[in-house]
Amino acid sequence: MTLLLTLPALLLLALVFAVPLLRYGWLSFHADSVITGLQPVPNGGANWLRLIEDERFWQDTVQTLRFAGLSVALELLVGLALALLLHHSWRGRTALRTITLLPWALPTAVMALGWRWIFNDPYGPINALVQALGLPALPFLSSPASTWLVVVLADVWKTTPFVALLLLAGLQSIPTDLYEAFALEGGTPAQALRRITLPLLLPYAFLAVLFRLAQALGVFDLVQILTGGGPAGSTETLALYSYLSAMRFLDFGYSATVMLGMFVLLLGLTAVLLLGRRWLAGGRA
Amino acid sequence: MRFRRLAVLLVLLWSLLPLLWQLYTSLRTGSALISPQPGLSGWTLDNYRQILSGDPPFWRFLLNSTVVGLASTALTLLLAIPCAYGLQRQPARTRALLSGALLAAAVFPYVLLFLALLELARRFGLANHLLALSLPYAGLTLPLAVLLLGAAFRDLPPELEESALLEGLNTWQRLRWVLLPLIAPASASTGLLVFLFSWNEYPIALTWISRQELLTLPIAIARIAGSSVYTVPYGAFAAATVLGSLPLLALMVIFQKPIVAGLTQGAVK
Repeated sequence: MTLLLTLPALLLLALVFAVPLLRYGWLSFHADSVITGLQPVPNGGANWLRLIEDERFWQDTVQTLRFAGLSVALELLVGLALALLLHHSWRGRTALRTITLLPWALPTAVMALGWRWIFNDPYGPINALVQALGLPALPFLSSPASTWLVVVLADVWKTTPFVALLLLAGLQSIPTDLYEAFALEGGTPAQALRRITLPLLLPYAFLAVLFRLAQALGVFDLVQILTGGGPAGSTETLALYSYLSAMRFLDFGYSATVMLGMFVLLLGLTAVLLLGRRWLAGGRA
Repeated sequence: MRFRRLAVLLVLLWSLLPLLWQLYTSLRTGSALISPQPGLSGWTLDNYRQILSGDPPFWRFLLNSTVVGLASTALTLLLAIPCAYGLQRQPARTRALLSGALLAAAVFPYVLLFLALLELARRFGLANHLLALSLPYAGLTLPLAVLLLGAAFRDLPPELEESALLEGLNTWQRLRWVLLPLIAPASASTGLLVFLFSWNEYPIALTWISRQELLTLPIAIARIAGSSVYTVPYGAFAAATVLGSLPLLALMVIFQKPIVAGLTQGAVK
């Protein structure tokens, strides 16, 4: 009887999550593009063979991993510092928490454009500063070496508050008498951070990394609006590639294959994370 | 102490400067953005006038996003509350299995789903219907919503429901008159997170809606940027950013506590 109460929600969940993935599995074994008149025609494993030989797919995989790796690492580091700062009790804490959370609350699409203007060459404020120092304006968004770093910066700016909040919840769950006992035995604050705070924070950090890594691998809005994947495809991610395959090249079969390729990558990384956590937990026990 | 003050200052600058720069840009004339202007000249409200007198006027997008946000929030809560309650009444094995699946779905990068969802929308004629967007939005936010509300139900003392049962209240009555008021705070947190998600969602709104007067805010703003091939009209765009951010600013200032509670509950439970 009570199982019935869960049914409407579970049905919608199946429709939104399971049906698409099954559909991609089916589509990835079909040619469905302008060439076939947008009708699905079975093509054996041609899409998958193409995927394996597709340099653009592999380049995008590397670029996606590069983006996700650096962003999540920075978010974890800055987020930890921010969480420690927010954890201390003082008068302005609530206000500071609201303000730090603002970047997270605003639509990615909105600030993606904001960053484009901030790093504009030569009129943006960053380049105004650069020029005020007597240097020539820098082509932040038209050089492959720097553009992906701007994308990382924009992502770190937006999602660090979220990571900080998760870590803050972890900090607040640590009983204060642990620290008192540690101090009584002559431990310094730096040792307390390493021996008490960080180990107890691990489950929260793990959850934050899992969530952020999955989202960063699927980065789409930010890249589509900030760089469009450019310059010269240097910031194109897998999600953008599959989007372009479907919406610009009208190749639905291949787009579905790219998405499944990304899904496999995601599963692999999650497995590595889970194994890593088990190893870390085992190392402590 | 001095170090902490410096750190706070840095955090404030980091969080606010990009936003303040948008505000500044929105109040400057196009030429003032490109070359320095003497004295007090170069300030203008034209950017705001321009987007508010556009076709459709900018407030239309704000309205669209609000409508989608409210509808999605209502639909999500309507489905998630009974589901979370039902889930708590299942045997431990079933519950653990379903919770695991919900966590996986909550973490899943949903942009992957856009193509199949678009196909569904076309098959069932849902494209270019504003309210239809709340179907995928509810589906995508349900995992988190059910997990948060499930934790809230689990925190209630079991005697509460037992005594309500003894009073002869049926499932619906217990849920409506005893449990629902008690999980109101969790429902508020969840609802706010769903609203924020719907307000900010990009890939699905981008592919489902093409009619100009039905665009949600993020898509409308991205279109302003794409409207000119060579230069982005930054003044008008910044004005749009400011207007589009104000409702969220208000939401964050008023509801900071429940939003933070919602975000962190998920991690603590």
